[in-house]
This record gives sequence, C-alpha cells and structure tokens, in this order.
Amino acid sequence: MSMGIPEIEDAGCLLCFGYNGADSHPIVARRIVRGRQKGMKIICADPRVTETARISDIHLQLKGGSNLALVNAMANVIWKEGLADTKFIEEHTKGFEEFLKVIEKYTPEYAEPITHIPAETIRKAARMYATTKPAMILYGMGVCQFTQAVDVVKGLANLALMTGNFGGPAMGIGPVRGQNNVQGACDMGALPNSYPGYQNVTDPEARAKFEKAWGVSLPSEIGCPITHVPHRILHEKDEKKRIHAYYIFGEDPAQSDPDLAEVREALDKCDFVVMQDIYMNKTGLYADVILPAAAWGENEGIYTCADRGFQRVRKLIEPEGDVKPDWQIIAEISTAMGYPMNYKNTEEIWNEMIDLCPSFKGATYEKIEKYGCVQWPCRDKSMEDKGTPYLHKDGIFGTKDHKALFYGTDWHPPVELENDQYPMTLSTVREVGHYSVRTMTGNCRTLRNLEDEPGWVQMNTGDCERMGLKKGELVKILSKRGYCITRCLPTDRVEPGATYMTYQWWVGACNELTTAKLDPISNTPEYKYCACRVEKIEDQEWAERHVMELYDDIRAQMGIDTGKGAKA
Amino acid sequence: MALKQVQTTCPYCGAGCQIMFTVDSDANKIVEAVPAKGRTNDGTLCLKGHYGWDYLNDPQILTKRLRKPMIRKGGKKAPLQEVSWQEAISYVAKRLGEIKEKYGPDSIMGTGSARGAGNEANYLMQKFMRACIGTNNVDHCARI
Amino acid sequence: MNYFVKGNPDLCIGCRTCMIGCVVAHEGKHIFEVDPDSYDFNPRLHVVRTVRLSVPVQCKHCENPACMAVCPVGAISQKDHCVIIDQDKCMGCKSCMDACPFGAINMTERKGHIQADETLKKTANKCDLCYGLPGGPACVRVCPTEALALITEEDLETAMERKRAETARNTFKENHPQE
Repeated sequence: MSMGIPEIEDAGCLLCFGYNGADSHPIVARRIVRGRQKGMKIICADPRVTETARISDIHLQLKGGSNLALVNAMANVIWKEGLADTKFIEEHTKGFEEFLKVIEKYTPEYAEPITHIPAETIRKAARMYATTKPAMILYGMGVCQFTQAVDVVKGLANLALMTGNFGGPAMGIGPVRGQNNVQGACDMGALPNSYPGYQNVTDPEARAKFEKAWGVSLPSEIGCPITHVPHRILHEKDEKKRIHAYYIFGEDPAQSDPDLAEVREALDKCDFVVMQDIYMNKTGLYADVILPAAAWGENEGIYTCADRGFQRVRKLIEPEGDVKPDWQIIAEISTAMGYPMNYKNTEEIWNEMIDLCPSFKGATYEKIEKYGCVQWPCRDKSMEDKGTPYLHKDGIFGTKDHKALFYGTDWHPPVELENDQYPMTLSTVREVGHYSVRTMTGNCRTLRNLEDEPGWVQMNTGDCERMGLKKGELVKILSKRGYCITRCLPTDRVEPGATYMTYQWWVGACNELTTAKLDPISNTPEYKYCACRVEKIEDQEWAERHVMELYDDIRAQMGIDTGKGAKA
Repeated sequence: MALKQVQTTCPYCGAGCQIMFTVDSDANKIVEAVPAKGRTNDGTLCLKGHYGWDYLNDPQILTKRLRKPMIRKGGKKAPLQEVSWQEAISYVAKRLGEIKEKYGPDSIMGTGSARGAGNEANYLMQKFMRACIGTNNVDHCARI
Repeated sequence: MNYFVKGNPDLCIGCRTCMIGCVVAHEGKHIFEVDPDSYDFNPRLHVVRTVRLSVPVQCKHCENPACMAVCPVGAISQKDHCVIIDQDKCMGCKSCMDACPFGAINMTERKGHIQADETLKKTANKCDLCYGLPGGPACVRVCPTEALALITEEDLETAMERKRAETARNTFKENHPQE
C-alpha cells in the first residue's frame, strides 16, 4: 500500500474497488467506517452489496469481470470533463498521450452494456473521485483474481496519477494484502523474479551483490511461479525443467489452489514432496516427508503488515513435541546439503538480510522493538529514521527519472463465460471468522462454532425461489472441472445469476470448481469468475448424512479420532 | 502461577493488529488475549484476533497438530512413519541432492510462506533455493 | 428505567465478533480448553443482514415486557435495569418467544440438562446485559467498530435534551429565517 492504514479515515474520497474489508480485514474496514463518520465520500465498485457498498455514496454494482471497462470509462470522463490535474501529469508522469488513445473509446455509454452500470452513474462516480481531495483507492482480490488483473491495477493507478492523488497522506492506491505476512514473503524475495528488497534476479548488479554475500554463483533466469507448478509437473517435456521435487513450506496447495483435481494429480505424480507445516492438511496426504514446525505463538520473528510495517511476533508458549522453528529446519537441510547456514536466532538472519536491502537497511530489531512498527522504506540505521508512512512523497516515484508511467490497455472478458450447461457464475470470497485454509481457525473452538462445514453459497433470492431452494438447504454446485455440496444462502446482496462461495471448506470446497486460467503477468488464477450450475438435492436427509460422512472421513485422514477409528 | 504479559502481532490478515497476551508460563498456556494499542488496530480486534489463538493447545477439532517428523517410507501410497529429526533432515537432503544431480536445479520448486513462519524463515527459504539448490524456483501464495 | 444495548447500522460491519463475545462472557474462559461440542454456543444477540442493513438485534429490555407478562411460570423478571430469564425455571413453552415483537428471544439447547423426551433441555435465551458479569455487556466491549453501545437512563435523558434543544432552534429559525 502506498499509504498507511490509519490514513484511510482521513481521505476525502475513497474509491473501494473489489475490496470487501469487512470480511477480509475488519480492522481496515473500521477505518473506512470511521472515515465515513468524518464525512469521507465513498464510491464502492463491487458486484455484491458489501458492507462498504452499503454505506457508500455511489455503489457501482458492476457485472463480474468488467473491471477494466469501468476503470477506463472513469478515466475517459475525468479527461473529457477537464477534471484531470494537468500540472501533475506534466511534471510527474510519462505516457499520457498514448494512454489517452486507449481510453478514447471508453465513453460511459460504451461501458454501460459491459459493466451493467448506467452511463450517468459512471459519470457521477468519476466526478466525485476527481473533485474530492485527497482521494484514495483501495483494492483487493476483486481486482487481482482475474485473468485481467495487472491491467486493472495499472488502470487504477492511472486514475490516481491523472488526478494528482500521489505524494501526500491519505491518497494514493492500496492493495490490501490478504495474509498476515504476504507482504513480508514478497519483501523477503520468496518470488521467482526478485531477491529480498525487490532487487531483480535479472539485474547483473543485484546478482553480483548477492553472489558475493552468499559466496556462490546464482542463476540469472527467472524461476517458476507457483501457479505453473501443476503444469510443470504434469506436462513439461524438458526433463531439466520438469518439477521433480516440491518443497512446500506453510502452504496447502491441495486446498487453496484452483482446479484441485489437477493439483492432486500433480502432487501424486511429483517424485518427491516435502511438506513443512504446523498441522496436518490436504497436501500432507501427498507428502513423502513431513517436517513439523513451531507455530505462531511458539517462535520469534518479524511480519510485514499490509502497509509495509515491520512488527515483531513473539514467543508466547513453548511448543510441545518434537518441533523446530521453520528457519532452523531450512538451515539444517541446507547445511546437510553442503551449504552451511549457521544462525543463533532470527535477529542474526534479519541483520544479514537488511544489510543486503537498501530499503530495509534501517529497520533494525532495536528500532522495531522501540517504535513497535517501522514502515519501509527505512534506509538509515540511526534512530531518527522512523520509516515511511506513505510512498512517492511530493510525486517523486521510484523509477530512474522519478516519473510515473501511464499504462493503458483494452478490456477483455473473463475466460470462461456462462453457457447453456453452466448458466451461472461462481466467484470465491472470504469468510470473516476463518483464515486461509483454516488449519488454524478451524481448530479454534468458538470460530468453528460460528461457521463450519460445508459453508454457504450466496445466491440471489429470485434464483433461489425459481429453483425452490430455501435457506440452509444443501445444494450441489458444479462446474466442468468438479463439484461440491454446500448450503444455500438466499440474499439480495448478490445479483441474479451470480454465486459466491468461501474457499476454506473441505466438503464445500469451491476450488473443485474454479479455473486455473492465469493473469499473464501476475500468474494469479481467475478465482473470481467461472461458469457453474446449482442443482437442488431432493433427499435432504441423505445429503445431511453424506456431508457428515465426508467431513468425518477427511478429519480421520487428518489424524483426528472421530469415534470411528482414525485412518491416518 | 507465573503470569507474564507478551505483546505480539496477530497471525491472521494483513492488518497487523497488536494483541496483548497473558501467559501462564508454569502451565505453558495462554490465559487471556486483549487488544493492544498498535499503530494499525488502535486498541481494537476482530473475532479472529480476539478468539483465534486456542488452536495452539492442539484441540483435535479439525486436524492433528504435527509433532514428529514423518517419512512415507514405502512410496506415495504407504503410511507415514515417525522418524528422528536427524533421519528426516538427511533423507530430505539426500533426495533433493539426487534430484538436483539427475535433472538439474530447475527441477526443484520451493515455496515461501505468507502465513505464520515470518520474514526470517522466508529469507532463508529463498536463500536456500537460490544459493544451495541453485534455482530461482521459489514463490508463495501471494498469487493465490 | 431499564438499560439496553443498541446497535448502529452505520458502524456495524456484520463481523459477528459480538456474538462470540457474548458466548465467551456467559460460558467462561474455560471454553478455550475444552471440546467445542461440550459447551453452549448460544449467542444472545444476532447480527441481521438485509440488503442495505447490517446490525445486531437483541432484547430491548422493555419497561412492560410482553415476555414477562405471558410467562406462565414466572421465569422472567426485572432487576437492576434489565429483564432476565431464569433458565432453570423456564419450561420451554415458547410463549415469550411468541410474544416478543422484536424476535429477541430464541429457544436453545442446554448441554448437561435433559428434558422429558431425553433430548437436551430447550429453554428461552436472550440478552441479559451480561447481568452479574464484570465489565458490562461483552458485545459492547469487543466490537471492533464501536457499533454497539449500552444506553442508560442518563444517556436517554441527554439525548432527549439535545433533541429538545434542536427542536427549539429549528422552531426559532423557522420564525426568523434571517438569523
């Protein structure tokens, strides 16, 4: 995020795009609510009536998969109506002329049939965003989980650039990162294209620096993104490129990834699968080796939160059993393979890392302890450098000439559209009381009591009435890749023809249905759009029994004594 | 009962909330969690922050906590067998070494973790993949 | 006058932290160490979501409670500014549930209590303002967006005074538009 989370409530206008904070980050949603109380204008672009949409000034209830058409149309209005900040564009940006050529055709009237939003509403939204200062954009997975994702992120950045909404507090553009340390995993270079601190593996200078520090020569070719792994195991012809070993650390691809049938086949065919985790999970069923790690609460370290803040995590209790901290397990394997790693604690690792990363260099343990949180960039170790609340101060960008680049592209529809056989759409969303694949929250008593298998499919009440479905009834939901059983939740917060499911359930596993089609740049799957069909189940008693049996079966596979004899 | 107060960062979403835990170190258990005055959470927590810590005492609700290294000695369909750390580490090192030898470093994929493990473990994982294995095949669930 | 907890739909984000907070307050902290099926998970307030509203709904602690009037066994009483159901006395007749115009009462099973047909005893369940528990209503304390507030007699009086003043000002303005 270019801004800090506390700044959200001070924005004059918030464009909340494909981001449902109430379910994914309640404590960020709190800032939106507080902003509203202070008079912040809210424009919410979301196909559902989310909590933010509910309190918004303008709800752009767009058709799923039409994001870029809407964003380009807003840019078109801002330019045509003379609402752009031409001084900012001239002084701080490049590529505006080319961008104008792209958005030329995206009049609100052109976008209306694509987005299902009246042209006049698009105009009103564009005017409100462009004329209320400072204006902030927050976006979430409703932007990222499409095959056209990066283009939309750039499209949103275009809006902020053309209205001069960069360079000060409470403005800019913020992807609100989903997981506790997804920002940190990126910061640390757990990415196929970059070393820690966003230093590119293809940059010879960066590579030379890391080669010197680590005492080895390093590969220059960009690595394999995680979403390519099933393909690289199952279909890669080149033996040197085919994945034969998969070391999975703190992830559960057999639950979280799209098109689970393909993932299972890949894990089954992969010669050697190592899983390092805290709980047994679905991936564990395919693992050749399982390495038990200490959990959050049992080890020390640093997380990076969504707005670039480094914060300490501390040990609360001693782990039971024969488990080790993740860093120690990795160090021992490396040492056993002839590349010794000797660290006494996490601070030693941290110190090695920050000395290799100019943007993090000043963020010492001492400083993070003292201030509680340090937002990068923090370049100087002196205690005076307290980090950076917001990026691009005074419109100075991180590019070589410090100018931001406009980048316009045309909208294209999602890959798998509704058809006769699968007339509805499925989008995956979040369950507020559960996290990720729920190995943690599903083992928390009250959170499990609040929501449990097989979860819900949110459907428009009219669709439910037409199909004779009542609240709580078990239904079968299918796509051409697979099916699952879940409960029907009729609600007019969703549009006719659309369905929404949360992805952490085993029985109601929506990723049996989702498509593994990817955005070409980010390699993120199109979780937010695939074609599906909902079927009524006549024998509800059977269905209830069946769901319980499936649930007990999987729990037994996960090593739980369900009273019927564990199968693990 | 030896009670101590420990402040830490919530393990769930990216909001980075601070929680103050009361811990009974004799009994090695958490007694209470209350919101702390963090930069982002300002003394508030959601339901996961308030009530999302009791998985630590291995309640046997959904899945079993992993407590011992295990190897599936007889191939994919065989049951997992508990082994010592020494055996597990040297087995992983040996198999990864063999695969690297036979097919080259790009035949091995590793992941980081966007969840509990923390930055230091992620740094070591990518260093391991790059410096020890010799590949840039490292990624994590940010795209998922 | 009785107190009550009021939800504000402009602040509520529908997260249901209040519902768990309610259960934890009434069941006690031991629930974090036991089988999740061994205690009662019966929130005494419920987050309602319509198309354009999200807000927790709970007992209004009426001054002349319809539930109390219809209870045949005298299980409902008023004390210390709230209306309380004695679940041990409750015979499960559902009269109160039927009489309550706000849907604030539901029937819930009580673990460890068996009724005549050998199933778990079902009794009336509703908000008791965390009667007898330290710190006041738990839902108010745990809500991340301050969407819940305990309304006391004093709060009502202050609100009335403010509204009366506003009325007076508006009336004055109407008569003297140039002011």
